[in-house]
Amino acid sequence: MSAYVLIPLLPLAACLVLVLSDRRFEGRGHRIAIPAIGLSFILSVGAFIEVLSNGPITVPLYRFVDSGTLVVDLGFFIDQLTVLLLLLVTGVSGVVHVYSSGYMIGDARHSRFFAVTSLFTFAMIMVVMSSNLLVTYVFWEIMGLCSYLLIAHSAQRPAAGKAATKAFLVNAVADVGLGFAVVLTFATFGTLDIQEVLARAGSMDGQTINLLGWAGVDCPIGTVTLITLSMFMAVCGKSAQVPFHVWLPFAMEAPTPVSALIHAATMVNAGPFLLVRMSPLLIVSPAAMTVIAVMGATTALFGALVALTQSDIKKTLAYSTISQLGFMIMTCGVGAFVAASFHLLAHGCLKAFLFLSTGNALESVQAHGHVDAEARPEAKSSAAVLVGALLLACVPPLVIFSGPYESMWSSQGFVSGRVAFWGIGLVTVFLTAMYLVRGALSALQSGLFGARPSLLSGPYFLSILASATMLGVVLVTVWTRFAEFLTPAVGRRLPLGEVVPTATLSVPILLPLAVAIGGCGCAYVLHITRRTSVLAQSTWMKRCYVHLLNKLYFDEFYEAYVVEPMLRLARWLSRIVDLRIDRGIVGAAGGTVSLARWLLRVVDLGIDRGVVGAGGRTVGLAGWLWEFFDTRGIGDNVDRLAYTVDAAGHALDRGEPRALQHHLLILVVSLVAAIGLFYWLVQ
Amino acid sequence: MTSFVAAHILSCIIAVPFLGIAAMALVRDEQWVRRTALIATLVTFGLSLILWSQFDAQRAGMQFVERVEWMPTFNIQFAVGVDGISILMVLLTTLLCPLCVLSSWTAITTRVRAFMMLILLVEGAMIVVFTALDLFLFFMMWEVTMIPMYFMILLWGGPGRVAAGLKFVLYSLTGSLLLLVAILGLHLEGGRTFDIVALATQTYSPDVQMWIFAMFFLAFAIKLPMVPFHTWLPDAHSEAPTAGSVLLAGVLLKMGGYGFLRFCLPILPDACVTVAPFILWASVLAIVYGGYMALAQSDLKKLVAYSSVSHMGFVTLGIFAFNNQGIQGAVLQMFNHGITTGALFLAIGQLYDRTHSRSIGDYGGLHKPMPRFVALLCFFSVAGFGLPGTANFIGEFLVLIGTSQRSFVLVLLAMSGIVLAAAYMLWMLQRVALGQPTNPAILRLPDVSRRELITLLPLAVAVLFVGLYPGPLMETMDASVTNLVEQLTSLRPETVAHE
Repeated sequence: MSAYVLIPLLPLAACLVLVLSDRRFEGRGHRIAIPAIGLSFILSVGAFIEVLSNGPITVPLYRFVDSGTLVVDLGFFIDQLTVLLLLLVTGVSGVVHVYSSGYMIGDARHSRFFAVTSLFTFAMIMVVMSSNLLVTYVFWEIMGLCSYLLIAHSAQRPAAGKAATKAFLVNAVADVGLGFAVVLTFATFGTLDIQEVLARAGSMDGQTINLLGWAGVDCPIGTVTLITLSMFMAVCGKSAQVPFHVWLPFAMEAPTPVSALIHAATMVNAGPFLLVRMSPLLIVSPAAMTVIAVMGATTALFGALVALTQSDIKKTLAYSTISQLGFMIMTCGVGAFVAASFHLLAHGCLKAFLFLSTGNALESVQAHGHVDAEARPEAKSSAAVLVGALLLACVPPLVIFSGPYESMWSSQGFVSGRVAFWGIGLVTVFLTAMYLVRGALSALQSGLFGARPSLLSGPYFLSILASATMLGVVLVTVWTRFAEFLTPAVGRRLPLGEVVPTATLSVPILLPLAVAIGGCGCAYVLHITRRTSVLAQSTWMKRCYVHLLNKLYFDEFYEAYVVEPMLRLARWLSRIVDLRIDRGIVGAAGGTVSLARWLLRVVDLGIDRGVVGAGGRTVGLAGWLWEFFDTRGIGDNVDRLAYTVDAAGHALDRGEPRALQHHLLILVVSLVAAIGLFYWLVQ
Repeated sequence: MTSFVAAHILSCIIAVPFLGIAAMALVRDEQWVRRTALIATLVTFGLSLILWSQFDAQRAGMQFVERVEWMPTFNIQFAVGVDGISILMVLLTTLLCPLCVLSSWTAITTRVRAFMMLILLVEGAMIVVFTALDLFLFFMMWEVTMIPMYFMILLWGGPGRVAAGLKFVLYSLTGSLLLLVAILGLHLEGGRTFDIVALATQTYSPDVQMWIFAMFFLAFAIKLPMVPFHTWLPDAHSEAPTAGSVLLAGVLLKMGGYGFLRFCLPILPDACVTVAPFILWASVLAIVYGGYMALAQSDLKKLVAYSSVSHMGFVTLGIFAFNNQGIQGAVLQMFNHGITTGALFLAIGQLYDRTHSRSIGDYGGLHKPMPRFVALLCFFSVAGFGLPGTANFIGEFLVLIGTSQRSFVLVLLAMSGIVLAAAYMLWMLQRVALGQPTNPAILRLPDVSRRELITLLPLAVAVLFVGLYPGPLMETMDASVTNLVEQLTSLRPETVAHE
């Protein structure tokens, strides 16, 4: 057992102490959480040094599940990818904790906050370190729970509760993918050990599975493709990719440090991490890679476009995260896993910095968009830092788009769609530069000056952070080293050492740079010189703007076509069908007694009622379908029909026996019947 | 004395609740009635822990077997014994009963003695059901569990108790009747013995198997319950007092699943294999349908009751997957469902004691006055929908792995049931615990008392323990389940074949 076990255990211990001490540390939760995560960070540095010199480390712990052929060992696998992520997670999480210790002063649930953030960090560390897919899945889900708890931190606000439920449910739907991928992996490989699965990934090429066999349909799908795509579904959930992105903007209901944690250290980073971790499996299936790249590109564009139109700085940041993650996913999709990891790390550092400085600025303004009447001149530096941060966020796409992409593409041999992705990538870079500069400019113009005069959360602290961020940017210069370090941990089509990407000043670098500068300039011109009116004259442009402002109506669509119909159908089923089964079965039990009555009714009134009931039911079904396609104004009709059916049911029900003696009679009759059956059986 | 207990530990476990009933008849003071009940249930739990520690997990057969002639003319014995599956059910029963007593400590104010006696009676009967090696004994105690439950609902239940109790009895009696016929049929076909072990060694013609299976199936499907035989359950659960709901959901439902494992699979393998595809689909239907119904409920107890329907679907799904993972998952699911659903009913009971309302709409913003309660409710809710890291996840995941060897479509459908579970649980939490209170009186509710905390904490520990380290439970049943699966596959080799 090595000391690296403590990397996840320390945050867990901090969480447990805070939970079990039952408010004894109320108001002082950070004094337990910060040292724990700080120590984790130091240990991560140790792990980094060891991996740098000795290569991957395996730390087995205990047997988690042992059932027949299914054996799951809980253990850690620390390789190049893991240590880099560990540094990011513990580092950023530590900074966020230090920041929160000032930010959360006076919060009624201070120690709960630190307990959950510690648990969050622990879960993310476990995802990163896990050597087994099932363990990954476990902590993947626990992370979802932590996000739920943190988003619901200000529980008295109904919006927070709604946002939390939304975030968890969207993730729960997406996580079905990961669960299914785990089951499928076990069915295919007979093991859930990640390294074993990856080692045998190549041999599974060409194996197919027929999901619709039970229905007699023959449509084989590549097993690896199916596994990868199921996994990708979960990635879409956690990393807020297009159909599942709706939870991330709403997650802003959480206190600002939580946003920093979700956007930079934990949660969303799990998606690209999983893709890079499973990269040897991914590259077996070009079909899945294409899907991943297309989805990533879509998200990158969509996020950038929406970010361009949002007026709320936090919403802009949320959509910028969505866009950047889309970029990373697209990078994975084209096979440039090293570049994606680099982007992940750089984006993590920058986003944490951005959120924390935004938190400071917003704190002084009180409410989003409202300017503090007495802007303090001494806090101007804070706003300046914000501006700088916004500009810095342009860097990752730029950097990534330079040398590595080109060489990665050629090294992985994925040429198809390359030009298209180039185009989309450039457009995204342009848009990213535009919305960030626009955000920074409006922040400056609106006089968003002012910060809390505190050492920890004030400009002093932030400038330290800024220099740390700069350090991340310096990493760009060591790109070649970085690629060399990480390459053994990711999947490649070609044998190792074939192509080592280099960053030299060439056209592929200069072009995106030029595009980004063009984006900045465009934003500047539009914003400062107020030329927006030129664009606003075109109705087509206006329409686009309105659609994007409303985020292409994803939320409304889900609300109207998924959530509402689901609930309505559930209530309707519960009211009509379940009661009907109930009556049916109780009635069937009573049937032996009321047979005569029933016959009488059939002859007498029953036919009449039956016809009415059946008619009502048919109309009811049609009405329901109609409502499904046309949600407005039909609700009343359906209700009325439902009541008609219900009333018909009541009418049928009225004749059924209810008194105790009837039931006893039923029992006796059934007993006699059963004995008769029994005799007949025995004979 | 100790050597006698050591030699007859199973009989002692069965005897203690009944002795407790006798002792209670002699105690005068109401407080002492409660204490006696608590002591009796705790002693039973302690003894069953000893039983578990002495249980040899490597052996597949029955252990701690005790046989006494009871009615020699009819070849009926008092025969009890445990294997890896039944010992877990015994543990579950004895774990939940002390908590039931504790939860009724102040909630039950009228006829305390009778109520406590009923709890002990159910406990004793259920332990016999799970350990009986004689079909007649099994049937008798199966019937005995129903009567105390009926009276609990009828005498201490909610406003709709009469109808709910009647429905419960009606369903149960129908099931028992079929069970009786099936048992007599087996008795006659299997050489006039009631010995379960002996019956399992014989072979029966497929026709006979189908008939007997049909009756067993109906009896167990009603108890479990499977859709569409489930409609007794929401009413019975919601109208019963807290302890009654816990016993019903926690243990009584498991009698159905246990019946499938003990009778259908070993004795009637051919029939099982023939109908397995239908039962698998019916299970998935139950999972999805139960979850869907829970989504529509506005009554807290009904919501949990429908979630039980959904969870028990996993049990049948796992059992009829006919492989190690499936069956182990099913047994774990029964155990875990007992813990989490029991805990949820206990928690809702504590809420009900304060406000006398089960309606979700009457709550909101509970996090303010009752932070500890909300933390526990949240914990058990997320455990209830099988969040990884909690107990239910292990069971559900194993069932899914087992099912994947039969059909992937079933796996996907069952997974959608888990999503539904997350939806109804979190939505319930959002409406009950978060936001603003609907009623200013909510702000004055007291947080959980020490006694209530003691009721819930053991279950929280159990949920986490099983969720993070299921090893001990799985080892306990491993040999028995492997034996069961081998028996099945040796009889019907094609059962392991993939679809």
